[in-house]
Amino acid sequence: MAAKDSPLKQFEIVPFSNTEVGSYDISFTNSSLSMVITVAVITLFLTLTVNPRSIIPSRMQLISELMYNFIAQLLSDTVGDNGKKYFPFVFSLFMFVLIGNMVGMVPYQFTFTSHIIVTFALAAVVFIGVTILGFVNHGIKFFTFFYIPGVPFYMHPLLIPIEVISYLSRPISLSVRLFANMLAGHTLLKVFAGFVVAMPFFSGALPLAFIVALTGLEILIAFLQAYVFAILTCLYINDAYHLH
Amino acid sequence: MVDYDKLQKLKERIDSAETTNSPHSKQKKQSGAGFGFKISTEIIAALVVGVGIGLIVDKYLGTKPFGLIIFFIFGAIAGFLNVYRVMRRIEKQ
Repeated sequence: MAAKDSPLKQFEIVPFSNTEVGSYDISFTNSSLSMVITVAVITLFLTLTVNPRSIIPSRMQLISELMYNFIAQLLSDTVGDNGKKYFPFVFSLFMFVLIGNMVGMVPYQFTFTSHIIVTFALAAVVFIGVTILGFVNHGIKFFTFFYIPGVPFYMHPLLIPIEVISYLSRPISLSVRLFANMLAGHTLLKVFAGFVVAMPFFSGALPLAFIVALTGLEILIAFLQAYVFAILTCLYINDAYHLH
Repeated sequence: MVDYDKLQKLKERIDSAETTNSPHSKQKKQSGAGFGFKISTEIIAALVVGVGIGLIVDKYLGTKPFGLIIFFIFGAIAGFLNVYRVMRRIEKQ
């Protein structure tokens, strides 16, 4: 297939400038642009809608408050009272992923969450942060997280490596889930869009109808993945407080 | 006098509305593909970590190929452990 019609072309990184610091390429790309748009949308939406601070909220203020309550509820359900401190972190993470996915749904707009390096960086921040949090809360005792009580002693040489691998696999499963969902969804949309043009006469209407349905599903997945990202972050924070 | 018949009917309507609108009834509709995806990433992630550790061990200790074999098996078991934990969390809900 010609590279110009490839359904994967939408994931190509296009640098707008050639900036290099030392040996690092820090060019401003379409991915960065999409992140800037996302942050701008979040900031503008949240500040403008909450600005009137009316007791009887307008529709837009209601949306902002709904999002706030959603994450606040999630944190208090999973972490409890300790969770309030982490609200800003989880909320910004959730909003960044959610609005990033939504911005990606706009035609011709780049989806930065479809690149594993972006999602892995987010997951790594969560992972490293939670590990540090565990050490701050429990000190050296945090290592007992890998020790399962009530198991015969000769099983521990076997179980501890397994537990460590299971712990280290967290950032990978967290990032792969988000990245693969977005990548697969957007590729599927493009592939079916190709069918619309390729099919003879008016039978192209069939895949077109399918795309409409698929777009709805994609918006659902965009929300669901942001939710999964947030809830897993909450669970990991909870683990850092309560070993086992 | 209070019309008990009417009250009873209202109660039934409220009950039926609550069961159809509760979040629990919505959660059951989660698609099978999404669920399978969730499970498969858990296994793959654990395997990736296991193989990665195995390769690093082999490289620095010169135990090729035993590090890879052993840590691959550990990774596979860790993957199943992850799946078991995810399932248990879902069961709880």
